Amino acid sequence: MAETTTPTALDIFESGDAALRVVARSGDAEANWSTVHSLAGWLATAGVDGIYGAVPTYDSVLVEFDPYRTSARQVRAFVLLGMRQLDFTGTPMREPRRFEVPVVYGGDYGPDLDRVADHQGLDVEDVIARHTAKTYIIRCLGAPAGSPMMDGPDFPVPVPRLKDPRLSVPAGAVSVAGRQAVIAPAVAPGGWCVIGQTPLTVLDAAREPLVPYVPGDELRFYRISAEDFGNFTGQFLEARP
Amino acid sequence: MTGSLIILQPGHSVVTDLGRTKGPAYGLPVNGALDQFSAKAANILAGNQDNDPLLELTALDFRMRATTDLLIAVTGAPLDLTVGGRECPQWEPVSVRAGEVVAVRGIRTGLRAYVAVHGSFTVPSLLGSCAPDTVVGFGLKLVEGFRLETRKTTAPITQPHFGLPLFRLAITKPAFTTTPVIDVTDGPDVAEFGDTADLLFSTQYTVSSRSNHIGLRLGGALPERQLTSEVLSRGVPVGAIEVPSREELLVLHRGRGVTAGYPVLAVVTSRSLDVLAQARPGHTVTFRKTTVAEATATHRTACLELERLRQTINTVFGLLGIGAGQRWHELSPASGA
Repeated sequence: MAETTTPTALDIFESGDAALRVVARSGDAEANWSTVHSLAGWLATAGVDGIYGAVPTYDSVLVEFDPYRTSARQVRAFVLLGMRQLDFTGTPMREPRRFEVPVVYGGDYGPDLDRVADHQGLDVEDVIARHTAKTYIIRCLGAPAGSPMMDGPDFPVPVPRLKDPRLSVPAGAVSVAGRQAVIAPAVAPGGWCVIGQTPLTVLDAAREPLVPYVPGDELRFYRISAEDFGNFTGQFLEARP
Repeated sequence: MTGSLIILQPGHSVVTDLGRTKGPAYGLPVNGALDQFSAKAANILAGNQDNDPLLELTALDFRMRATTDLLIAVTGAPLDLTVGGRECPQWEPVSVRAGEVVAVRGIRTGLRAYVAVHGSFTVPSLLGSCAPDTVVGFGLKLVEGFRLETRKTTAPITQPHFGLPLFRLAITKPAFTTTPVIDVTDGPDVAEFGDTADLLFSTQYTVSSRSNHIGLRLGGALPERQLTSEVLSRGVPVGAIEVPSREELLVLHRGRGVTAGYPVLAVVTSRSLDVLAQARPGHTVTFRKTTVAEATATHRTACLELERLRQTINTVFGLLGIGAGQRWHELSPASGA
């Protein structure tokens, strides 16, 4: 079912009659990520009839299509064409934008901060220091609703998910799990460890685009006090000028 | 001329369309009508475009009052439809006079019904779709007293022989059953389940009451993943079958989160997703293996059936002077309604 057919090592898997999963297999995580996002970008701009869009994550991209207007076979051929073109022209690089996110850590804002610190064998201040020390690259937009998925902070060990996921995590929750970090754009259930919360509005259904960042953009967290939370309320997360 | 209707008994009803196909690229689920075939058929029978906004009713009884003359069509699971107290056929166009109450009662065997109104509705849209998204809090959930504006009114079509149905198109309705057989193709991660993957095809699964538009949960013997390595988050297709716990199988439907970290065992075909959208808690589901080529052919056959229906409607509506053409909304009122 999978076959490798282009200079950029690629596996293409059938995923039902209306989607294909394309997996980059270069052996290098950074190159794979770059490949699948370039391919998704190419598919978006190519505007092929019958292709709805592409969902790129880390090493794979899901290509969704209308099986009446096109077919898995045609889309596969098109993906291979796109890869040949990208191999030839190289990956167009977009200048990343930079986001700075104020966070109140711990307490009601970050109910799992102590748990994460215990598990890492660090004190709470050290967890916050490591979380704010890094410039994160937004790797992809995930569920729910355009969440900015990032490689996690420099922690000694992966962070286990909650055994009992919460039924409701507030918008702005700043969480970690495994080797990943994220901000919740909207209220949703969640099994990640919430270590803080940003007062900024990340997602507003009335605004275009829905979320202000795209994969490849950079993001940093900085600490604010609980008293300062209210000062940011109603402000949107926006790229630094 | 624009018309309107008022919701008297909303039951569980929303205004939706065929979905937010641009959504997944932004991390939003596609959503939209869960039984796409029934939704398309309703719009076609009402002389609309396939993707026009229409009502999706889930399980509960529903009533609305037309405040202007309307032409409607009701499809989906079997039910009792009355207009102004008269019994009316499902899967046919139905004239509604101003002031009459449209009542849908006793949705049975299946779970969802669709009500399309000729001229459709003027409703807000997000990324090109009016489909509700519960995560971002977008969409119209209908409440009692809510007034929906329609883009057109349709004068009642008079039937000279009192009591006879107005239309008798006798289209082939899909079969509704409490024991649906669901076609699936091998998922991209089927190999990770080893020999246990075949359990999917030898087990009868029971639909759990915790099922919704995000996914159906099915109880029964579960295939087991043979690996323990972590899976990177990946885009998952609508229809993906996963085994996230030891209790239930999860079949993702149109409200699914776009990315997930569970291996995909199998994927339900487009046509069978419509069937699954009608499965009620307690119904028994069995899975049958097919290929992508066969699934595509089946889907296209269903699409062609709808195209034939569209041609019939265009002819009939043309003869009756109801604007049913591709661009009816651009016609002047005199040549339209």
